[in-house]
Amino acid sequence: MKTLFRPSLYTLTLLVVFTGLVLSCTEEKYKESTDETLNITEFLRANEEEYSLFLEILDVTDYASFMNTYGTYTLFLPTNDAVNQYLSDLGASNVADVPMEDLQELAKLHIIDEVFTTVQFNDGKIATPSLQGQFLITGAVNRDGQSNITVNKDARIISSNVEVGNGVIHVIDKALEVADQTLAETIDEDPSLSLFAELIRETGWYDTLDEPLTYDQDSISSHVSVLAQTNEVFQEAGFNTLNDLKERYSHLDDPTNPLDSLNLYVAYRIIPELDYLADLAVKSVVLTKAPLEVISVKLASDSLLLNEETFNGVFEPGVQINRSQSDVTASNGVLHYVNDNFFIKKRFPAPVYFDVADQPEFRQLSSVFRKPGNYADLSRSELSEVTWEGNAAFRLGYLAAATGDGAQLSQAWHGDVVELLRHRTGVINNLEFTTPVLIKGRYKVWVSYRQNGRASSSVRALFNGEALPRLINFTEYGNTDLPERVLESQGYKRHLNITTSRFNSRLAGIIEVPTTGRHTITLESLAYAGGPSWIDVIEFRPVDMDQLYPKMEAGGDGLIDE
Amino acid sequence: MHTRITHILAILLAALSLSCDSYLDLRPENGTVRQEFWQTKEDVQAAVVGIYSAMLNTPPSENDLTLAEYIFMYGELRGGMVAPGAFTSNDQSDIITTNILPSNSITTWSQFYRIINYCNTVIDLAPGVLEIDPTIESSELNNYISEALAIRAYLYFTLARSFKDVPLKLDATLSDGDNFQLPATPQDQIFAQVLTDLNEAERLSVEDYGNVPENKGRITKYAINAMQADVHLWMENYQEAIVAADKVINSGQFELIDASPQWFNIVFAQGNSTESIFELQYTPENRNPFYQIFLQQPQYLAAPPVLEEVFGVDFDDPENKDVRGERASLVPGTNEIYKFTGLNENQRKALQESDTHWFVYRYADVLLMKAEALNELGNGEEAIAIIENLRETREAIDQTQEFVTPEDQDNIRLYILAERAREFAFEGKRWFDVLRNARKNNYENLDILLGVALRSAPASQQQSILAKLRDPNSHYLPINTFELFTNKALTQNPFYN
Repeated sequence: MKTLFRPSLYTLTLLVVFTGLVLSCTEEKYKESTDETLNITEFLRANEEEYSLFLEILDVTDYASFMNTYGTYTLFLPTNDAVNQYLSDLGASNVADVPMEDLQELAKLHIIDEVFTTVQFNDGKIATPSLQGQFLITGAVNRDGQSNITVNKDARIISSNVEVGNGVIHVIDKALEVADQTLAETIDEDPSLSLFAELIRETGWYDTLDEPLTYDQDSISSHVSVLAQTNEVFQEAGFNTLNDLKERYSHLDDPTNPLDSLNLYVAYRIIPELDYLADLAVKSVVLTKAPLEVISVKLASDSLLLNEETFNGVFEPGVQINRSQSDVTASNGVLHYVNDNFFIKKRFPAPVYFDVADQPEFRQLSSVFRKPGNYADLSRSELSEVTWEGNAAFRLGYLAAATGDGAQLSQAWHGDVVELLRHRTGVINNLEFTTPVLIKGRYKVWVSYRQNGRASSSVRALFNGEALPRLINFTEYGNTDLPERVLESQGYKRHLNITTSRFNSRLAGIIEVPTTGRHTITLESLAYAGGPSWIDVIEFRPVDMDQLYPKMEAGGDGLIDE
Repeated sequence: MHTRITHILAILLAALSLSCDSYLDLRPENGTVRQEFWQTKEDVQAAVVGIYSAMLNTPPSENDLTLAEYIFMYGELRGGMVAPGAFTSNDQSDIITTNILPSNSITTWSQFYRIINYCNTVIDLAPGVLEIDPTIESSELNNYISEALAIRAYLYFTLARSFKDVPLKLDATLSDGDNFQLPATPQDQIFAQVLTDLNEAERLSVEDYGNVPENKGRITKYAINAMQADVHLWMENYQEAIVAADKVINSGQFELIDASPQWFNIVFAQGNSTESIFELQYTPENRNPFYQIFLQQPQYLAAPPVLEEVFGVDFDDPENKDVRGERASLVPGTNEIYKFTGLNENQRKALQESDTHWFVYRYADVLLMKAEALNELGNGEEAIAIIENLRETREAIDQTQEFVTPEDQDNIRLYILAERAREFAFEGKRWFDVLRNARKNNYENLDILLGVALRSAPASQQQSILAKLRDPNSHYLPINTFELFTNKALTQNPFYN
């Protein structure tokens, strides 16, 4: 028994110790990577059956390695079918047949050095240009009942927002093409724009539109946007040939002269920035190459209208942009089409009586707005056309005083004023209003208010950020003695059709409105205020107009002539 | 030697077997297991109350939004009447602008399936209690099952209206061994199942619990009828919709309350009025989430055009106003959503008493659903009569009145839709109303939906939004990425690929 047991226990122990030793020697395998997500190139290699051709392009152009480095990229990845289509369009049988330079441009066009998911796409360009330099435009189409997001109009995204280690991939069913034609060439190529092409040649703008893209010292690009007109649109407006246009517009008989109306006619169609339709849709006004002339843009339901305005109560219908044809990318800009002929609107300055209390948000308060005996106040974020500096907790008041109130506030024009609790730094200061549309020209600015001895005694008005010469003293009573014209010569007037010392109107200065459109007027208090300021109306009267009449009806809506 | 080893072994064995006892017991120390639960009728009642409780607020163990918030988001964000507020999350504003990715957190449906599982558990296990507890009567048990069936039906109905095809699970998930890899069931089959459940629920239902809070806060026969009418409208069974609606209308239990300065307080702030059919009963002890999302940190505002375009404004006479508009649905000027935070026309509730209910069905809903069905069947005259009657009790103003002839089916449809927008503003119904009308007759009225989208679309995105919405698949939410990851049997809605 003993002899049997002992050796076996001994052997067993030995065996255990030995095994333990052997096992403890093996190196443990730790997982060294913390993230298994593939980077772009690795992703392509892992899915070679679908994307081998684009991978080949990356390999040939030597971009494969940097697309595998860490970074933030957006790749628009054409499928093999898409690349094959691109090759057959070029007449090439494989990637190697395409010149190296073209391949490089092509590859760079598909890459953006920033991450963009489809949520950030809109109807126009992606905010950052591709590595090639051209902007990509996005949109959406519905084909056979199925909707897809598109890139550069006809490449559809078939699989979106694939996240990889160094960015995001959108798979597209058509390779993107580099726009290698300038605007001038693009216009030349479209037969329906033949008359427009003649016109830009005749006026000398052709060369400008044919210039390659450059950047100035502030790296602002020389992109332009052109609003072109087809022959058909010209015909509808009665212009069949270039001569018809010359006859109508060329008043100096020298279309190349920048002062000639025909030259301005073309210049007015060139916007000195890159504006796709989505960019136009969010701008109310764009500058043009015609000096100081602007085009107003309005989005009505889903159509984009140019120069649609109501002036002096007269409605002027706008010119519609042809949405389906527009947004044509060229190497130095973008081309749009319009549906009607249009020209610079010649307008003469007209007076604007800006009732500052008439803000759209106050107007919505129907039981308060211009209903005597009511008060409301709104915060800065709730008002769309007024802003100010100071504590966000302070709100802008709207006061329609009760008829016959002791303070005579109800005597204001329309019976209402805006109330600034304290017009001073720290409460409400630098109160900035967006004006109604002002026509280009020179105006006198009158600020009319209800006097208050505790209001700010020194307020500066600024038009588009430029200070006007005279300060306004909100504590100053209106003068009731001097003859009106004498008073006017001193820079004061009685803006209401009654004689009262409670209201006063001060000439803040003369302004030059550079462009027709909406501008800003700011009231900056330079003094302490211990009580509220009440502003009734800011008048913009053309300098050559009578500055006293028409007057405003006290407590009413009318304008009273002399 | 031999005996010694045997002794030692025996002692060791004894020690081991004695000490094992408690720590090998797998039952939880602080909970009840199923085998000990479903024993008495009180257990069944507790389980059913648990369903309602989960509909009010999320259980503390879960970190999720409430059901009412999800229904609000699914029903309102894309309906054009809600605009982002100062505290809107990116995910929420992406839904407002139809820019939805599968990773959007709002597309999680776990809250719905959690409550569905509570319902399934009651439906599966409650019948067993009948054999154990002699004090429960089968009619009583039936009532409980009816409530669970109806709530489950309503949740599936909401899911199918929001996501189109969703997994249909009709039995309780009781263990980890259950199959979680369920494929999605097509929308029409979900609707059919919802109807089957509702019909069964109606058979087992209660008409009167004997007190008002329970009649409005628990599922009654009339709540089931209202749901049936709603489902029939979606399935375009108009005759059946009228039958279901008439069951509510002819019951004599409900009536519209005339407009008065107290109307808002009675119908919304207090709730459980004669206009109400089914409401989620928040109380001061179990408060609603609305105070925060509409007032304290507003995630949503009324869209700026709502006041003028939906309720109308009489600029000449501010006293002439729709009782449902100013200071009922919203506050003019600030566009704050007021329906769920207001006490009366002038005051808001305080935080500690913010108990405004969530209104699932109100009587006016049934009336307008009937009008909709009547109009689709060519009976425009009766449909118009229903609208005009409702407008009169609500003091709707002339600016929003439309003059339509009884033959003008399309315009009556729009009129009903506009009236529904006024009546149910911010009650989580707008988008579903728009979609239901747009998809009628194989998307014959898609223009309605596009028109709504156009009005609220950001200028720089409206063309993309219009093109996207021409694809019917885009009207439904994507399946959340997380669900796709855990349930491999699901396939994504093709629009979101």
